[in-house]
Amino acid sequence: MRESFDEDFDVIVIGAGHAGCEAASVSARMGCETALVTLSLEMIGQMSCNPAVGGIAKGHLVRELDALGGIMGRIIDRTGIQFRLLNRSRGPAVQAPRAQADRALYRSEMRHTLEFTPNLHLRQGLVIDLIINDGRIRGVLLQDSRRLRAKAVVLAAGTFLNGLVHTGRSTYQSGRAGEPASIELAENLKKLGFPVGRLKTGTPPRLDGRTIDWETFEPQSADERPVPFSFSTENIEQPQITCFIGYTNERVHQTIRDNIQESPLYSGQIKSVGPRYCPSIEDKVVKFPSKSRHQLFLEPEGHNTSEVYLNGFSTSLPSDLQIELIHKIPGLDEAKIIRPGYAIEYDFIDPRELTPFLQTTRIQGLFFAGQINGTTGYEEAACQGFLAGLNATLYIQKRHVFSLRREEAYIGVLINDLITQGVDEPYRMFTSRAENRLMLRHDTSDYRLSPYGRHFGLLNNQQWNQFSQRRDRLARLRNILIDSRFTPSDSKYHEITDLVKRDLGDSISLASLSQFPDINLKILFEYLPSNIKQNVTFSDLETVLADLLYEGYIYSSHQINEKIKHYDDLIIPTNINYAQIDGLSNEMVERLNRARPFKFGNIRQIPGITPGSLSTLLFYLRNRLSHHV
Amino acid sequence: MRPFSFTVSADTIVALSTPPGRGAIGVIRLSGKDALELTRSITLDPEFNPEPNRVFLKAIHDQRSGEVIDRALVTYFKSPHSYTGEDVVELSCHGSPPLLLSVIDSLLFFGARAADPGEFTLRALTSGHLNLTQAEAVRDLIDAQTHAAVRQAAQQLGGELSARLQPIKDSLLEIIVPLESSIEFVEDDLPADVSHDLSKKLSQLAAEINEMADTFRRGRLLKEGIRATLVGRPNVGKSSIFNGLLSADRAIVTEIPGTTRDTLSEIINIEGIPILITDTAGVRTAADKIEQLGIERTRRAISDADFIIVVLDGSQPLTAEDRMIIDEASDNFFIIALNKSDLASFHTDTALNLMVNSPIISVSAKTKDGLKDLCTAIIKPFSSAKMYEDSFVITSARHYDLLRLMGDAIDESEKLLQQKMGEELIATKLYQALQFLGEITGETTPEDVLSQIFSTFCIGK
Repeated sequence: MRESFDEDFDVIVIGAGHAGCEAASVSARMGCETALVTLSLEMIGQMSCNPAVGGIAKGHLVRELDALGGIMGRIIDRTGIQFRLLNRSRGPAVQAPRAQADRALYRSEMRHTLEFTPNLHLRQGLVIDLIINDGRIRGVLLQDSRRLRAKAVVLAAGTFLNGLVHTGRSTYQSGRAGEPASIELAENLKKLGFPVGRLKTGTPPRLDGRTIDWETFEPQSADERPVPFSFSTENIEQPQITCFIGYTNERVHQTIRDNIQESPLYSGQIKSVGPRYCPSIEDKVVKFPSKSRHQLFLEPEGHNTSEVYLNGFSTSLPSDLQIELIHKIPGLDEAKIIRPGYAIEYDFIDPRELTPFLQTTRIQGLFFAGQINGTTGYEEAACQGFLAGLNATLYIQKRHVFSLRREEAYIGVLINDLITQGVDEPYRMFTSRAENRLMLRHDTSDYRLSPYGRHFGLLNNQQWNQFSQRRDRLARLRNILIDSRFTPSDSKYHEITDLVKRDLGDSISLASLSQFPDINLKILFEYLPSNIKQNVTFSDLETVLADLLYEGYIYSSHQINEKIKHYDDLIIPTNINYAQIDGLSNEMVERLNRARPFKFGNIRQIPGITPGSLSTLLFYLRNRLSHHV
Repeated sequence: MRPFSFTVSADTIVALSTPPGRGAIGVIRLSGKDALELTRSITLDPEFNPEPNRVFLKAIHDQRSGEVIDRALVTYFKSPHSYTGEDVVELSCHGSPPLLLSVIDSLLFFGARAADPGEFTLRALTSGHLNLTQAEAVRDLIDAQTHAAVRQAAQQLGGELSARLQPIKDSLLEIIVPLESSIEFVEDDLPADVSHDLSKKLSQLAAEINEMADTFRRGRLLKEGIRATLVGRPNVGKSSIFNGLLSADRAIVTEIPGTTRDTLSEIINIEGIPILITDTAGVRTAADKIEQLGIERTRRAISDADFIIVVLDGSQPLTAEDRMIIDEASDNFFIIALNKSDLASFHTDTALNLMVNSPIISVSAKTKDGLKDLCTAIIKPFSSAKMYEDSFVITSARHYDLLRLMGDAIDESEKLLQQKMGEELIATKLYQALQFLGEITGETTPEDVLSQIFSTFCIGK
């Protein structure tokens, strides 16, 4: 039977949050007719929680995404109202940019960018079912009975699947406060047999900035020299604002304790797990009773609004209690709440269902990205969206699918963790999740990843030229630092000796000089040969110095990894039956079945796997190969 | 993408491939791309480029002293024509366990890795060099592999080593958690001083690990025997004492100085501890060329031994040569056997002139008087209270290797701290230590670290 469709597309992306926008953008730019289906065109690129992008590890993700040709970095650069490089006083590997966004501006800039992308078609509507035939995706069905045909579908539904909002004892179905949840689609996914779980996240109240006594709070300004996310951004144009820091106090904590039964988190109303690194204020007070105050950030939501985001005060307590609590904080005595904080529970699907290319193993051509996979964060979502959109395109175009390795990108770590370990709580990126943190600096994202972006045609000529020029500039600068040497006949040699207070030997190069802890960027810059000084930027110099600082350590880690992990690239066939392998205990079989590792190296990451089962498996894999080749 | 891909093993592994214990020969096998290079290192012959599958006689040098410790038959099997399919070198050495261990130690020093149980076979399989289509052979091998692995796992999971390492793992995590929190959660309101006492904690930890690694030597002594060596100038009665200890006349004993031209080794058993006792040629500044060789061997024996018995002739005044020998021995554990107590001219006063702290035992090899005292004195340093109360020892070269690497990594992190380098670099070394630890106890995942962070600190906006 030939089914009729209202419209034909190559790729359909469901959901226009941070995952969906990236997915649609990449597939459209790679030549696929792409529909981006959203519940509300006004909410495209909405930041449903805090109005900020980046931070440690998350900032790394955005820069990697940008280097690959994603759009998030460029959009936040155009709409960021407070840029700060975090960890500036620490080592270069753990520094990362963070930017406060103008929430409304980010949305309109995102929508604008998508509307001007050829092959990309925005469609408003609620997807209620997937159209599947022969285990292959054919399209989607909308609530208004429109049927859209597609060869591949990327599902990026965020918190909308069976979303349930809690504020005190009142609950209602919703995808985001005030927006409808996606109930039918969620039920239909269950019917398809996807293993569905529940997660929880929360958000703080938004205050009316006109009712805040700003003088009470400690100002936190933007960086003087903002570090953009995108490698193609030259200047940050948005005027920069100040945020403010404050604290809760014992009076607030006591009131929370007195009313803890009002919190759905403690009354038993919410059973699902929330992120430990983003606890509600109730959790903070209960779990850390000895802490007499908790930090709060007052973050203005944009240039043209008085709305203020009370970061650090995520709560699902009843709204009247939220007002009472806020009023106990000096400076907020008179503050009015515009929207109360809430907790939301939503469905996610065990990401161990997915291939390393974010395609589901159940239905061909169906890809999942973002919170549906159990992650939290705009940045984590955007990276998955990008990879899902890219692989959906490659799938349609019958080209080799694409994934990144753990040692080449945080994005590789993210996907690999998800598909092998699954999630117990909303998954967020941390730098410590990467074994090779030193290799994954934010400022090396371009030389790690831009060649891929170019390969897929996602970086235009201008971006590629920018990349090539930077690469060449850095190489030249590196050589200058290595080749410029001072000997005792130089007056500078003695100056430097006094500065670092140690014997410099027969001669010292700028490169070795840079390794002394007392030598900072400015000092080093002064010693650069005068003829090149005007062509060297601080940011280039920072990058080259960081390369020099880390290369020895990277080499030695590499040696150790080689020693320990020499079989890690061995690929495990998808049809492996662990139960059939002699010498594996049931316990190990169960763990392996749950984790479904793709490479031998993934097995080491499975908690509780014994060294014995590792050798048994390796043995088995080789045995199998000899029969099949 | 190919259905399977293989990486060539990056490192070169070494193991004794003959059964442990004394035998006529001991074969040490190296496999991996650096097998030949490592052979060049321990033979001190950078030009050594042997024709494959042919046997060459080469001198093996100790990595520290550079002295010859053995002459071994070296066979090179060029990849892919070897058991493992990689470059393989086999060293057929003399069969003394202490000697074989020194050779293996030297190879580890130059960068070889102690092979895991069954790893040679594993490599052979991985490179496709074993014919796995023969089902029976396959099953046997799988069984062998699994049993070894299961034994190892059981030993590690329930075993003492794991239990011993747990507090070390805990301490490491205790150090990593605040360090990592300060990196990862810069925007959170965390205690400011994360590096409090860090340096002290790190050096304590390194000391603890090194102490544990040191039990490998102790463990080896118990397992392979204490290497005790008799030294002394010619004709003081070393061979007579050697024979006395053996209670059998195995060495040629004559009145002519320098008769014992070569070293002789035998194992005796004192209170259950095996003692590999070695008799050497007399140390004498002789011009005789043949004897010169023997003297070199003696010096080497001194640096090789766990324990030295300096034999002096108590019937004669102390000579300059005697003093020189004592001097050489004083870097090691040593006792003095004052021989010929049966002679009328025997002077215990000689002892007073020596001014050494080591025990001095009067013996007569002829009448066998004092031999018992000598035996007691030999095992005394090894049967100290500490040794027996604390029966914990590292017996596997692989564990020793890992502990040493772990200690090094922690030392390095402490150095980085001293140099005021960044937290991320200090952490890198600590994670390396954790990784080596994980090879024994099972891996510590980033999730383990994060869990500990979230339970220690109130994190999150």
